[in-house]
Amino acid sequence: MIARPDVAPVGRVVATELKPATPHQFHFWTANDTTIGIGAIVKVVGAGTGDGGRVVYGVVTDGFAYSDLATPLHDVVGAEGDPARAADAPTARQEIRYWTAAVLRQIPEEPLQPVPIAQVYVADDADVAQALRMDAYLYSATPTAIPVGLYTSAGLEAPVYLDADFLLGPEAAHLNISGVSGLATKTSAVEFLLASIFKHFPAHKGRVAAVCFNVKGPDLCFLDQPGDLSDEDRRRYERLGVPSTPFERMRLYAPLKADGVNLNTLRTHPDLVSDVEPLTWGLQEVVDFAEVLLNRDDIDAKADAFIDFLRDRVLGRSFDDGFGGTHRVQTFADLDRLFRAIFDGLEITAGGRSDSWRTHHIATMRKVRNRLSNISTRCKGLVTDDGPSSDLPWGAFEDRAVYVIDVANVDPLGQDLVFARVVSKLREHLERRDLGVDAVVVFVDELNKYAPGDGPETYVKKMLLDISERGRYLGLVLFGAEQFRSQVHRRVVGNAGTQLFGRMDMDELATPGYQVLTPATKIKLATLPVGELMVRHPHFTQPIFVRFPKPPVLRGRNGVERFPPAADLPFEDAVVRQLVHLDRGVRPNQVKDLIADREEDDVRRALAAVRRTRPENVLAYFRKALGGRVALETAPLRERQTPSVPPLNPISDEPY
Amino acid sequence: MTWWRALVEAGAVPAAFVPPASTGRTDLEDGAEAGTVADVVEDAELQAHPVLERSAARPPTAVSFLDGIERWSVVAYDGVVPVVRAYVAAAVRRRDARGALHTTHQRARDFAIAPLELMNAARRQALSAHCPDVEPVAGERVGQPALFLETVEAAVRRARARLERELAEACLETLAAGEWLVVDGLLSLSPTVARHPRALGVIKSHGAQFLEGRGLERALTLPAGHRTSVFRVRGGHTRTEVYSWYLRLWPWEGNDLLYGLLRVEARAHSETVTRAAEVSGWLLAERAPLATPDARWDRLLYPLHQVEEYLKSRAPRDLQLRRVSRLPKTGT
Repeated sequence: MIARPDVAPVGRVVATELKPATPHQFHFWTANDTTIGIGAIVKVVGAGTGDGGRVVYGVVTDGFAYSDLATPLHDVVGAEGDPARAADAPTARQEIRYWTAAVLRQIPEEPLQPVPIAQVYVADDADVAQALRMDAYLYSATPTAIPVGLYTSAGLEAPVYLDADFLLGPEAAHLNISGVSGLATKTSAVEFLLASIFKHFPAHKGRVAAVCFNVKGPDLCFLDQPGDLSDEDRRRYERLGVPSTPFERMRLYAPLKADGVNLNTLRTHPDLVSDVEPLTWGLQEVVDFAEVLLNRDDIDAKADAFIDFLRDRVLGRSFDDGFGGTHRVQTFADLDRLFRAIFDGLEITAGGRSDSWRTHHIATMRKVRNRLSNISTRCKGLVTDDGPSSDLPWGAFEDRAVYVIDVANVDPLGQDLVFARVVSKLREHLERRDLGVDAVVVFVDELNKYAPGDGPETYVKKMLLDISERGRYLGLVLFGAEQFRSQVHRRVVGNAGTQLFGRMDMDELATPGYQVLTPATKIKLATLPVGELMVRHPHFTQPIFVRFPKPPVLRGRNGVERFPPAADLPFEDAVVRQLVHLDRGVRPNQVKDLIADREEDDVRRALAAVRRTRPENVLAYFRKALGGRVALETAPLRERQTPSVPPLNPISDEPY
Repeated sequence: MTWWRALVEAGAVPAAFVPPASTGRTDLEDGAEAGTVADVVEDAELQAHPVLERSAARPPTAVSFLDGIERWSVVAYDGVVPVVRAYVAAAVRRRDARGALHTTHQRARDFAIAPLELMNAARRQALSAHCPDVEPVAGERVGQPALFLETVEAAVRRARARLERELAEACLETLAAGEWLVVDGLLSLSPTVARHPRALGVIKSHGAQFLEGRGLERALTLPAGHRTSVFRVRGGHTRTEVYSWYLRLWPWEGNDLLYGLLRVEARAHSETVTRAAEVSGWLLAERAPLATPDARWDRLLYPLHQVEEYLKSRAPRDLQLRRVSRLPKTGT
């Protein structure tokens, strides 16, 4: 704790009939040269004993300065109309620095009374803890305090803590952070806060992990690499009790590129690429979240019913198409073959007289086929034709680990799919308590894109609403960030127990959501320097300004400069790299010999099988997979050999 | 318990009469100089001299300003004998290099004024027992309340003048080299002050005239930014001889003859004549900031206004004038 260097009062409460002191607000004056400013926490100490010795903590919300000038015209007269002469006046007018403060806390709390007219002091560490009611969770037997930054004012510096029960559940949960882009505030604040959570998450609350969606550039790609910290930053880390080191356990997942072997991420520098896990999904994963792929016009009972039919009766089973064919649908290719068989069957066997199959209208089937085909085309690399190959470690999440999913270069539809599936799986596992951790922080940037206040009700928006309204019971916590809070669905931001604000745009501050802030607070928000935030938290009765250190990790832009992404490798080399990543004993030449003159699709399937299986002898398994089974497994031989009848209408001409 | 409360408990009737004249001094109160004579010492006859442009004036680096206030109120009646509570205060505030004023000297006196010999014995005893500072006054005019109040007012004014004089003398003892003292009012009431080389009296009321004929006309019709020639003011038995001159701060045309007109007093010395132009330029520069909202702003120097405001802020609130109603005054 920093000892108060000077216990002299900095101001005095004043109350008039027009501006009285109330139980919630008071006014005080200070010397013209003062360290008090907007956001400063002050303490009023009553002069008496007992209730007379009431202590009131307040935060400065507004400031005024004026002189004894009765009207501006008098200044003009005094300067004889010449502004240059105004400064010639030998005597300075009497001025006042007059502040308005909102009450944070009164001791005793009952009876609640107007603030006494007494001396005003700058708050020290202990005062800040009292004022923000942090004492309840900072000094309890099972502390749940998570440092969020340093309150700095008047040369004092006091850590400010959030309550884990209100940040990560179950009392309240979720965090929302707003601020203009490009000031390294939103992402940096979340990175710092995650480091703080990992260090201070209470043992009695179990294990915690974070899943971060990297939606733009290389923002979150280098969380395991140390950043450049100044001595001042390191001192702040020390003051906050947070290690100034990058995340020890960071796993980055990125889809593959369309070639199926190179990673679709900016973390492809040779020194780092080995730590990147491919994220690829197959048909089953996509069909489970087919709703994500359907736009509003598509959502109807018929499409839903047909998708349910595919999911329940077709996928992964031996299925008779009714036209003499038997299918085992495991991949997109299998599915397409089934569709063709059905359409052909309707055309040839039924002579074109029937337009339904198993009660499903041909138009509905064509629409679903079109949507499913689209995703495999638009998200090639994420969605593969080879079943599940590489996914997050469901059930084996590590404590204090950050899982970054890099979807920055993925088609928006694919981003939605990734988000929907990952969050659903998290929820599913957390409900079953078998994820491996007890709480997961999900960080989503650009919330105004995924959960906009207006626009269609998308599947992703519904999921975000669901997390924000019910996630806290499960330990599924949403950390959302956006530039314009007013453009995010109000139930998403409204359910965030903790809200952080970086520098804000004045237009944004003019929206109704900020009406509770004073003009001075708004101005401070509009001019907030990098590294400062305004915090709202259930325990704080007023917004508090804090300063946080630079995150201990390499910023995305710096990371790309220090570790420039490598150019895409030729197919063979990319395959080698992936196999070597799984087994360092694999010799590149052996792999190249194996895949020489082989179809790339076959190689990709074999590689996917190796990734999925993760055998002890990687090369042997790869050789075996490449040798035959993979190719045979994907389609029944009979169908492959049967020349298919071309569809009546080419897909490209379909109106769906 | 306050002494007037004790007095009431001893049988006096409580009162709350605050005469208008008790809130400060009027512009005419310095008029007790009638009969004084002035000799022009700068020119052969009184002339008008232009003063340096304001921007060319160089006020001294450090200047102290002295002013005082007085307040009084009848707080109790012992029969028809008024018992008065009076408050006088004076302060010296020094102007620093940034133009801010800081209080260096201040004194206040909160006391009772009563014709003790006319009071009931018990109440006189109560007053003496509870009030440590009682100023007795003659009781001849008690039978005529209005006239008696003039006696009281004169007593209060004397007390304030004494306080100001003491404070001025105390200030001059510690005045640094090159530092000036500007007194609101007559300089000549204290020989020590009147003879100090860096003391000025600034008089904004013109109850007495020292000039006549053409000289008087020139003085009263001085253009703005002009001063008269320096003349000698020989006082009566209470005054020390000083040099003086008139200075017009603001144009009087369209207003009245005394608008913006100051009379300056300095020690009776040839150096005063030499410095009159420089000092006038400096005082002219003191026009800004305006001493508003004070009604006398055209003649009241802002630093003196600030001293007065400072003293008012420290004065007892229960001696404030309530002209309209005796109900509590509200901000709304």
